[in-house]
Amino acid sequence: MTKANTSRSTPLSEPSHQAMEQAAEWFALLRSGEASDADRAQWQAWLASARENVDAWHYVERISRRFEPLQGNPARRAAVSAFQRANEPCLKRRETLLGIVTLLGVGVLGWGCWSHTPLPGIAMARRADHRTATGEQREIFLSDGTRVWLNTATAISEDFSIGQRRLRLVAGEILIQTASDPLRPFLVDTPQGSLYPIGTRFTVRLDRGETFVAVYEGAVEVITAGGEGATLSAGKQTHFTERALAFVEVADPARQVWSQGILLADNIPLADMVRELRRYRPGHLGLSPEVADLRVFGSYPINDPDRALAMLESVMPIRVHRRMSWWVSIEPER
Amino acid sequence: MSTLEYEPITIEHLYDDHHAWLQGWLRHRLGNAADAADLAHDAFLRLLTKPRRFDSAPEARSYLCTMANGLCVDLWRRRRIEQAWLDVLAARPEDLVPSAEHQAIVLEALLEIDAMLHSLPPKVANAFVMAVGCEMTDREVAEELGVSTRMVRKYVARAMLYCIRLDARQAVEELPHGVPCSV
Repeated sequence: MTKANTSRSTPLSEPSHQAMEQAAEWFALLRSGEASDADRAQWQAWLASARENVDAWHYVERISRRFEPLQGNPARRAAVSAFQRANEPCLKRRETLLGIVTLLGVGVLGWGCWSHTPLPGIAMARRADHRTATGEQREIFLSDGTRVWLNTATAISEDFSIGQRRLRLVAGEILIQTASDPLRPFLVDTPQGSLYPIGTRFTVRLDRGETFVAVYEGAVEVITAGGEGATLSAGKQTHFTERALAFVEVADPARQVWSQGILLADNIPLADMVRELRRYRPGHLGLSPEVADLRVFGSYPINDPDRALAMLESVMPIRVHRRMSWWVSIEPER
Repeated sequence: MSTLEYEPITIEHLYDDHHAWLQGWLRHRLGNAADAADLAHDAFLRLLTKPRRFDSAPEARSYLCTMANGLCVDLWRRRRIEQAWLDVLAARPEDLVPSAEHQAIVLEALLEIDAMLHSLPPKVANAFVMAVGCEMTDREVAEELGVSTRMVRKYVARAMLYCIRLDARQAVEELPHGVPCSV
């Protein structure tokens, strides 16, 4: 690099725009490989003609020095390709697009908006990467080896990038067994907040404007959209809205076995049981308040909700009325 | 020597009121608790070194959000450079992989250069880094980028002017001012 006679350290005032512009142009010419002796002589004359030219050139030298670690380095070509790669415009565009999609999803549509529509999640679920229909369950493997079981009427979006593995639960319920990847943290977003699992097996469920989390292995860090946080260790569960995080309690093992097609009832009110069955069964399932508080025990096949209903009918004082295939109601036995 | 006359900036108050949510917010954005803790720390460190007055909690909150967002973007850029460097190294035959020391030197230089050039269009920044970092002639850069040598010259001049102005502005900002001179 051509050095000028600049003894002073940082100049105290900013050189004029003209001086800076000329310094940049001189630099571009002198280093181009095409500068002649006459050019160099002219540059010397330019430097000598004004103090602020020397000041401006001082900056050129300072900036050039930042490249010195590359200049003498055998890996400099590799370094430059890394720089180019990091600057690839397509990568930038992709990020912008993702940004817009995220904004649309969360900002314009709003989570609250679609969750109150009669067919929740349909609009979002159609755009999701993985989804199940009502009554359907599915197990998938993500590209990093993470196992995800999708429960009935579930939709998730996958956004795996260089820095992180992000899943968005759009509707329904998932059970996740994360694969380890020390370089890319895993996280699950729900409309109410985010979950940061650490080597875990856990379930996440969206229900009536709340996120339910239960951890079976490892730990999960919960952060609500409002910034509240808690750490759930194995065997613990909680639920939260955007603003409020419930107390951590002992995890209900029933929240995990659905992945094996089983609905486990351990002394739960029939009303809760029916609410669960509704998730797996298209159509209307009514429950008479007179039997809503009956207690339910046992394991039921959730892949076949009609059979589960028949089983309930055989052990409890209830009658299942099939008015139409899509309209069933549970009433007291007469 | 006189003691401080003005009201002290209560960074402790700010910290108590805002650190927890800021860290939560960062964790939400970054997907990583450790990074979030680091950046929240950095944000308050900046407030310590360049104190500001806030008239209301929302004002402080929005300022911190904006600052933290900038820190996130910086972090993402750093990560992107680091990843690109690792990718390039991984793609090289083993005998061409530089020593650990050279790798570290290069990465540090790249991060500094990227921080300086990141607002420039990628083509301009790439031309500049090739020309100056690899000491390539305009002709060589032109061939690599598929543009004319005249264009390369323009790119280099433009990038250099941009850097000079950035540096000059910083130098002026860093000058001590408003400090009473002691005799």
